[in-house]
Amino acid sequence: MDYYLNLINTIGIHTLLGLSAYLLILTGQVSMAQAGFFGIGAYTAAILTVIFEWSILSAIGAAMLVSGGVAFLVGFPALRVKGLMLVVATVAFSEFARMFFYNVKWRVIRDGAEIGPNGTMGFPEIRYFNDNGWLNWEVTIFLWVFVAIVMALIWWSDKTRIGAVLRAVGEDELAADSTGINVTVVKVAAMTAGGVIAGLAGSLYAHQVTDLDHHTFTVLLATFAIAYPILGGLSNVFGTLIAVLFIQGLLVEGLRFLGDWRMLLFGVLIILAMNIKPLGLFDNQTIRILRNALGVKRQSDSV
Amino acid sequence: MLEIKTLSKYFGGVKAVDNLDLQVERGEIVGLIGPNGSGKSTLVNLVCGVLKPTSGEVIFKGRSMAGQLPSARLKHGIARTFQNIRLFGGLTVWQNLWVARNSTEDIQSQSILRRWLGSSTTLKREIETMLEFSDLADKADVLASNLAFGEQRRLELARAVAAKPQLLLLDEPAAGMNQAEVAELEQRIRSLREQGITILLVEHVMQLVMGVTDRIAVLNFGSKIAEGTPNDVQENAAVQEAYLGHSDQS
Amino acid sequence: MEDFWYEFVEVTQAIADGLLFGSTYALIGIGFTLIFGAMGKLNMAYAAAALGGAYAGLAGFVLIKAPLVLVFGISAAAAAGLGYAIYFACFRFIPVNNHLAALMASVGGLFFIDEVVVHVTRGSPLTFPSMFSDVFFELGPYGIRGDLVFVFIIGLVSTGVLLYILFRTRLGLATRAVAQQDIAARLCGIGVHTTNSVTFTIAGILGGVAGAMTAAAVGVLSPVMTVPLTVKGIIVAVIGGLGSIPGAIIAGLFVGGFENVFLYFRGIDERDMYVVALLFLFLVFRPNGLFGTAITRD
Repeated sequence: MDYYLNLINTIGIHTLLGLSAYLLILTGQVSMAQAGFFGIGAYTAAILTVIFEWSILSAIGAAMLVSGGVAFLVGFPALRVKGLMLVVATVAFSEFARMFFYNVKWRVIRDGAEIGPNGTMGFPEIRYFNDNGWLNWEVTIFLWVFVAIVMALIWWSDKTRIGAVLRAVGEDELAADSTGINVTVVKVAAMTAGGVIAGLAGSLYAHQVTDLDHHTFTVLLATFAIAYPILGGLSNVFGTLIAVLFIQGLLVEGLRFLGDWRMLLFGVLIILAMNIKPLGLFDNQTIRILRNALGVKRQSDSV
Repeated sequence: MLEIKTLSKYFGGVKAVDNLDLQVERGEIVGLIGPNGSGKSTLVNLVCGVLKPTSGEVIFKGRSMAGQLPSARLKHGIARTFQNIRLFGGLTVWQNLWVARNSTEDIQSQSILRRWLGSSTTLKREIETMLEFSDLADKADVLASNLAFGEQRRLELARAVAAKPQLLLLDEPAAGMNQAEVAELEQRIRSLREQGITILLVEHVMQLVMGVTDRIAVLNFGSKIAEGTPNDVQENAAVQEAYLGHSDQS
Repeated sequence: MEDFWYEFVEVTQAIADGLLFGSTYALIGIGFTLIFGAMGKLNMAYAAAALGGAYAGLAGFVLIKAPLVLVFGISAAAAAGLGYAIYFACFRFIPVNNHLAALMASVGGLFFIDEVVVHVTRGSPLTFPSMFSDVFFELGPYGIRGDLVFVFIIGLVSTGVLLYILFRTRLGLATRAVAQQDIAARLCGIGVHTTNSVTFTIAGILGGVAGAMTAAAVGVLSPVMTVPLTVKGIIVAVIGGLGSIPGAIIAGLFVGGFENVFLYFRGIDERDMYVVALLFLFLVFRPNGLFGTAITRD
């Protein structure tokens, strides 16, 4: 039973991760920074509950603020960098964050035991849920309430002008600028919102897994984050959820029986998928936005 | 209203626009013609803020537009259409008008939240008016990429007009149109002038230019070679030379 | 005063060592930049192919006691083969416009090569033979490692050969033509796919040499080197300006020196952070890199 609960939790957390990338990709920013924001959220929330003994909700809230704040700061330089270079820049950011966590050491003595992030040895003993008597299924529900709220919020905003503006910017920045949309505000806002959601995912992750290791916050995680909305399509949030179910449920868990050979097959599958159906999994709007995001020139691009 | 002063734009060695002076008075419809490569589209981009001038100024309503982004210039009252239509293909007709800036009164009268949600009834009514004006009312929920060519052009125009601009730059709006469509466009442009909008029309299709403009400026190799009423320009030798064979068209 | 002088010597020593080692980064950077200049795409599997080649070279050494020159040769050839395979699997059939699919496919290639290496070596690091490791020049207060000089010289020679091929042969001309205007090149009868696969192969040769160089300088080959080398290669290519070979060379040396200085001041845990921060700064303030022009500018 616990195994399945863990899987459901992972799916929930990855859905949040995917949704944070979803908003960004809508505006044409293919960002690998989500892993960094995720890590920032994880460490902030964990430090708050472990060292400062905050309650879980306040810790999550604070973590969301911090990762959102960092995302806001990242949003501005990101404006100067287009397409593939944004991918590289955000990879650089995520790597920087990961290495930063690798070096964070803040040990505190409490009740005779040492707690806190321990640099290269990771950040163990994030025991909030255990210490406060949460049952496993309660944690799962708690987590998924957040997922549901975020999905609902994004779904709803997509029906308002907000959604249309995001997509307009993603499709054609020049036209958006020329029709009065403040592209800077939209893109930075999307980055910030993405950061907040990724931070939420991270803070939930930290408490669910009880032990943080910088190895989690790698480019691989960031790749997953953008893979979900791209695979699932940008029409609506459910596409992302389905993509997470598919990749995490089927591929990662389903291939578990292959053991060590899993990554090898994963690599081959990616290569095959990209060759056979490079666009086939995507709907038209996704293709349109991706084309713009990665700086591919259209014939009609001379203004 | 619009003053272009010794405006120049060089791309490396290419002088796309060369020391151009041009003025457009309020309420006028000024035409801008010239052979291909004469700098017309570059000029439009310079006036709208898509390109930065190498030297010279763009002055609108007495104020220099230097350093202002297109969206800022739109706030001041300069709108434009694109030569190769740049609609948001993945959005519906209605959404295309929705995301565009709508009239200043509309924006000033609401809280930011209302504006983001885009749900005010004033806004909805204005969009509906625009759709009526452009004969697109029955296509409101069609994706822009699925529209017929003529409909796309109408939407492009509607989007620019939705901002209630004071100056509207039209970049070859008649390209690819048949005679009936051009006549329709001419009507629309006239009614826009009646609504108080000043228009700078960049065009190749002489039927439209001769029919609707008060005054025409002719460009060649980035500078102005003639300016005057449509008749004057038609008879101008320099213009005939520039076009080499187009001089008979009217 | 003496302390300052001591520090000064130590720091310049670090810079010098870093510069010499940086020649390996320069080669990997050139490889990335070549491919980007030719196709506008990033080949994420490049460093993996380079190291794969180095492993093949090591196999040559271990199995048949090949002399070092042959080891380098085998590395270059193997990496060239891998490079061609990557082109075929990840770039050949994907539509030219689709940068993301190619990127993802090459990421798949990276996973694949890495996993194969891990399985074959059972994940443990292996020693790589180095030449001149016992040679040591003394120049006043400075010591210069012979093996680093050797590595540097190999880098110089490889770059020289590459530039010769690119600018003095018909093959190189074709590569540059395809990079500039592939449709026009095709109309002139230049086979785009052939040219691109050749680009990948040449980049592969360079990569194999670079992989062997890195392994020789460090003395060890291990699969954990793949991702850092990939990241550093991309950093160098970007800082130098994507598509610019001189840029990649200078950036490679610069990053090598820079990295070593930070190693000296802040230790190995923090060293990589600063390199990455450097990339970020460049992307924000000078996104075109040092020389951001296409490979084709003479």
